[in-house]
Amino acid sequence: MAEQELVTIEINGIELQVPKGEMIIESAKRIGVDIPFFCYHPRLGKEQAANCRMCLVEAGTKQPDGSVRMMPKPQTSCTLPASQGLVVFTDTVAIQKARRGILEFLLINHPLDCPICDRGGECPLQNNTLFYGPGVSRFVEEKRHLPKAFPISDYVVLDRERCIHCARCTRFSQEISGDAQLEFLKRGADTMVSTFQNTEFTSRFSGNTIELCPVGALTSRVYRFRARPWDMKSQKSICTRCSNGCNIWLDYRPNRLVRVLGRENEAVNEEWTCDRGKFGHEYISSDRRLLSPLVRRDNRFVTASWVEVYQLIASRIRQAVEERGAGAVGAIGGAHLSNEEAYLLQKLMRVAVGTNNIDHRLERNQVAGGDTLLARLGVPFTQTAIADIEKAKTIFIFGADLVDEQPIVFLRARKAWFRFGAKVIIAHPEPTETELRFDEPLVLRYRAGTETTLINGLSHLILQSGRAVTDGISLEELQASLSEYTPARVAQETGVAEDALREAANLLGEGTVILCAGRVRNHPEYAVLANALVNLTLLTGNGSRGNGGLNILLPEVNSHGAADMGVLPDLLPGYVPVNDREARERIERIWKASLPAEPGLSTQGMLEAAAEGKLQVLYVIGEDIAQKYHDPELAQRALENAGFVIVQDLFLTDTAQYADVVLPAASVAEKEGTFTNTERRVQRFWKAMNPPSPDVKPDLNIFAELAVYLGKPLPVFSAEQVMEEIGQVFPAYAECCYDQMPAEGVRWMPTLTDRGK
Amino acid sequence: MAELKVLFKDIDVPGIQTLEVYEQHGGYSALRKALGMTRQQVIDEVKASGLRGRGGAGFPAWIKWNGIPKDESQPHYVQCNADEGEPGTFKDRELMLRHPHQLIEGIIIAGYATLSKVGYIYIRGEYTEPARVMRRAIDEAYRAGYLGKNILGSGVDFDLYIHMGAGSYECGEESAMMSSIMGERGQPRLKFPHAPLPTIAGLWNCPTLINNVETLSCVPAIIRNGGAWYASMGTEKSTGTKIFSVSGHVNKPGNYEVEMGTPLMELLELAGGVKGKLKAVIPGGSSVPILPADKCDVNLDYESLQAAGTMLGSGGFMVLNDTVCIVKFMRRTAAFYAHESCGKCTPCREGTRWMVKIFDRILAGGGRMEDIDLLLDICDQIDGRSYCALGDAAAWPIRASIKHFRHEYEYFIKHGHSMVEAQAEHSVGGR
Amino acid sequence: MSEAIRLSEYPRAKRIDERQPPELRFSERAVQELERIKRHYPNKRAAMLPALWIAQREYGGHLPPEALMEVAYRLGTSYAVVEGVATFYTMYNKRPVGRVMLEVCTNLTCSICGGYEILRHLEEKLGIRAGETTPDGQFTLVEVECLNDCGNAPVMQVGNRYFGRLTPEKVDALLEELKNSEEHTVVQLADTIVQCHLSESERQDIERALAKAQAGSGGQDGQNG
Ligand SMILES: Cc1cc2nc3c(=O)[nH]c(=O)nc-3n(C[C@H](O)[C@H](O)[C@H](O)COP(=O)(O)O)c2cc1C
Ligand code: SF4
Ligand code: FES
Repeated sequence: MAEQELVTIEINGIELQVPKGEMIIESAKRIGVDIPFFCYHPRLGKEQAANCRMCLVEAGTKQPDGSVRMMPKPQTSCTLPASQGLVVFTDTVAIQKARRGILEFLLINHPLDCPICDRGGECPLQNNTLFYGPGVSRFVEEKRHLPKAFPISDYVVLDRERCIHCARCTRFSQEISGDAQLEFLKRGADTMVSTFQNTEFTSRFSGNTIELCPVGALTSRVYRFRARPWDMKSQKSICTRCSNGCNIWLDYRPNRLVRVLGRENEAVNEEWTCDRGKFGHEYISSDRRLLSPLVRRDNRFVTASWVEVYQLIASRIRQAVEERGAGAVGAIGGAHLSNEEAYLLQKLMRVAVGTNNIDHRLERNQVAGGDTLLARLGVPFTQTAIADIEKAKTIFIFGADLVDEQPIVFLRARKAWFRFGAKVIIAHPEPTETELRFDEPLVLRYRAGTETTLINGLSHLILQSGRAVTDGISLEELQASLSEYTPARVAQETGVAEDALREAANLLGEGTVILCAGRVRNHPEYAVLANALVNLTLLTGNGSRGNGGLNILLPEVNSHGAADMGVLPDLLPGYVPVNDREARERIERIWKASLPAEPGLSTQGMLEAAAEGKLQVLYVIGEDIAQKYHDPELAQRALENAGFVIVQDLFLTDTAQYADVVLPAASVAEKEGTFTNTERRVQRFWKAMNPPSPDVKPDLNIFAELAVYLGKPLPVFSAEQVMEEIGQVFPAYAECCYDQMPAEGVRWMPTLTDRGK
Repeated sequence: MAELKVLFKDIDVPGIQTLEVYEQHGGYSALRKALGMTRQQVIDEVKASGLRGRGGAGFPAWIKWNGIPKDESQPHYVQCNADEGEPGTFKDRELMLRHPHQLIEGIIIAGYATLSKVGYIYIRGEYTEPARVMRRAIDEAYRAGYLGKNILGSGVDFDLYIHMGAGSYECGEESAMMSSIMGERGQPRLKFPHAPLPTIAGLWNCPTLINNVETLSCVPAIIRNGGAWYASMGTEKSTGTKIFSVSGHVNKPGNYEVEMGTPLMELLELAGGVKGKLKAVIPGGSSVPILPADKCDVNLDYESLQAAGTMLGSGGFMVLNDTVCIVKFMRRTAAFYAHESCGKCTPCREGTRWMVKIFDRILAGGGRMEDIDLLLDICDQIDGRSYCALGDAAAWPIRASIKHFRHEYEYFIKHGHSMVEAQAEHSVGGR
Repeated sequence: MSEAIRLSEYPRAKRIDERQPPELRFSERAVQELERIKRHYPNKRAAMLPALWIAQREYGGHLPPEALMEVAYRLGTSYAVVEGVATFYTMYNKRPVGRVMLEVCTNLTCSICGGYEILRHLEEKLGIRAGETTPDGQFTLVEVECLNDCGNAPVMQVGNRYFGRLTPEKVDALLEELKNSEEHTVVQLADTIVQCHLSESERQDIERALAKAQAGSGGQDGQNG
């Protein structure tokens, strides 16, 4: 990137150098000068800003003769760009008066119901009034009256009387989330924020508007009256609701989660959260949490001690191994565990039980590591860093409703288009919410099932255009294999017009980011489709350079980590095939144990075996397979027919209903560790609260203790220590350095092949 | 008297609205002439004329014209401000109703000089009568090849679209007008130095020339007769002629075109003299400070009016006789700005409404002496701090009225009724 | 929880599925008009104001929520954005109005030249207050800001025309005339404004397209019959 031009400016007599064009409100922070504001927000465009007028400063420019020519009116520092010779005063008598005036104006219609306002204590209006405001109001007229707090959705409560018209929420909904569901109605002093006709605020990102609102006009219906800011504590955490790994704050009172706030991480979520993330952690403080181990007796669950259940489990596993061999034991789970736990789980199964029957995948055909992408692109799932999506020239959303499936990735994709002018192609068999969030994107409405044909057709067109890049593929071979995918035929098969196909092909090129999710992961012929996608990626020159690339986004918070950690029947940690002797032996040396060399059963395999009564012990960790497995009926039959079922979870889930033993596990807020998000970023989370009962244990402890009872102790003292071992086994993780991990986390870099970027 | 007709020269010619008659009176000869000149020559001619914007601010027209980039890497636009909403002003209405081709010719020349291929004329929604005349005239101009592709075989293209407003004074403000043309709420946009000038990044972030109807209507005569000819009229800094819309308590209200620098009293006489006893004049539309009768000995040009503490503004010349109660009149003014405030920025949104509330209390007999200073202070808090000039414009007239007529306010507050009982009610305002 | 801090039940939120296209009621003519007006601008969203004018005409003089939804759908923008625009401008009627609107200017010049007298006279004559509609749905009376025809104060806008130098007598005569006239209605005003956006050739084009569509459907009918 080009060097940023610096300019010399002067603020309150202090000279400083700042990047040209930086807003003065930001420059002032550099020298510790505080300029009060309401409407300014660095992530919102300035085009519609500067309306609160709180940040006024006096400004002028240095003339060649050294004198300063002042501008006749005060200027808003939130939109005033730094330019050479700019002179700024932030605290003159005139400015003090202006600030008092603005605050007086803002307060004349404000209800001043601070004692019952959720914003109380963290309210810029309170704070600015304290520091800059007039002591008294000269307003003796009647205040504006509007309906008081009413819910506009399950999450958001609107109180129009408190609104100060800063337009942050409306700007967010128009510029960032793009649903434009909040807008100002009417004008002048009657201006009010509203959804269309007061209908439900259905935005997937509504929670952010609550955080953006500088007063209590938009408040959380969930957090409402739960706490005052000054008697809460906050802990840094990671959202567990999808594979994006958004950084969040958990705000809690002793042992009760009260709210979730977005936490800044430029690389991941900037500062946004989706509503699932913001409101989806209520379960942590649910009254229905499991509080102690349970065992089934006479078809009823009764509480038991940990010693009891460990002994029971150990004896059943030992029995199974003795009677039928280690293959009669299997474990399902890992996508919701931390890396350390996932790692320990597979080690437990492989070392202490002696089986490769372990899998974390619940989807029909979820991609495993070591498949097409890893072989041909050098990365297991995703090439593009989330933050680099905004640099894309073209965004190709393929078969995914991103708003729903990967909300924060969607925000980046939208930013690429809205701020940086990327072109957008959306291919989906049905209308999606995502396509409504872009102005006239190119939509390819293909017939479901013709995915591979569509992608091959696009590749064919690119080959024909002569723009194809030789990047680790033989164009001749490809040409031959794709020759039958003529536009006419592809159009006919997929139902996408030829013109649209050509237009799409023209937009695809270097800098194209392909974003796929569930539909691709679960495609019946995934391998073939993945190959086609890789071809397209390579042809367009996105194999190993630039910001473009193929991304198959993953479903769960630690799907990536679980795969990395080898919670797979055929791969050891670090994508080492179990049947690769040399590589396996390296790990055996580290573990000082011998490992089974035959691939174990996949989730599907284990469930089928269990359903046929061939699995003696089924251990399910943190996954409600009876509900969530893509074939729930099979899962239920498996649970019914398995010899002995252990379920480890937070709740008595549907799956747990089938269990012989239920183990109560700690939630993410009650333990520490790392998760690896869908772009391979390893991130730390910290313990905030104690578990709801002393009998609730972090999964890590459960695995370690179980190993002891199985007679093969896996000495573990902490997550940190496990991470250290992970680094030895899977060197890509060596740089994660658990406790000194940088704030943005560490995106592990594939060293497996030279293709990975 | 000093009536001097440039814009109105042919306005009484029967049928001048039609292309045929307009052409008979030299219509579109300026366009032909301009097409034979280089673009810079056209701009230089406007520069020589000293023409200043007639929309209110009086900004030299040529600087805007010259500020449009001279390359065509982006589309350029001409935006003609026909929103005429300033109370007391009705000159653009007459210019469109009675002399449409003169304006169209001016717009096309502006388009040629600024490399624009598209022009929008933003006519306020209420002005359907002028809009229909403009429609007819534009259609005629298309038919005759003055508009469209390859104008008069010159290779120049220019399309002119009418964009109708829908009821908002603020949309007369140039950047709010851009929002309105782009289909948004009519709220203003950031100005220099916070954003590039509209000549660099206006409509859809492309270079855009914005001029008022009267400004653009001056262009054909300037090109036809030369900038020097135009500059020979008026004063040194306020060249040419200006149309004043005279209304209120005069015997012959209407539009009068006079040379810049004409004495105010002469204009009054042109308009048939004051009905009753002159109390005050508002010389440039509701936004400018009021001039009490004893200060009316002033010439009508930008500089002289400024020196007298008021402004030329848009030339909306309102005459008040001694039956007018200044407090009630100002209450109506305040109500207007409160009603038209777009609501974007704090001072204007809250301040204008607050002032109306204070006025209402005073009018209802509940005034307090400190309200006068409170009003002044609110004016100070709005003036210069608002996002666009509407806020300033809401403050100036009230501040001036208190300056010149403080005794009327005091009387009203003290007695609970007006000094001027003959004055009709002014109680309601706004829709 | 105390009374004061309970959530108020005011506007019960209902849910709208944006992916479901709203009911579309524009006539073929309206569709044709909008198509052409869109071409005046580099993007279709810019056609917002004219589209709302078309909608005001098509929906009989005001913009019910359905009209806003239709405009949003046709311009590819959100419902809320359209509502924000429609409620910003005073000439878009958000509530049903009478067949004819009488918009009396009471701004500065008119206020000192008898504008309020005209307004009061009309209130008395029609038996309604400013802002209201006569029970028979004929007239809506409104007080408006400066119509900028101050030379003819007091002034009133009726549909697509201004009437100036009003006196109570003139107003009475005008009311009589308006009662039996199809002119100057709210719908006609909207149509006038729409037509002002369209050039002669565009208008001809629309007629041709409509005639063709008519012929097309007529032909089909013939075959069927
Ligand atoms: C609140 C406000 C309302 C305005 N209304 C109008 C108007 O109705 N007509 C107009 O020509 N200019 C109006 N202006 C001035 C325009 O912003 C702009 O200066 C003018 O269109 C530029 O044209 P000119 O240089 O030819 O005068 C208004 C300005 C403000 C601040
Ligand atoms: S001064 Fe502020 S509120 Fe008033 S019109 Fe301008 S931007 Fe809108
Ligand atoms: S923060 Fe600058 S105007 Fe609001």
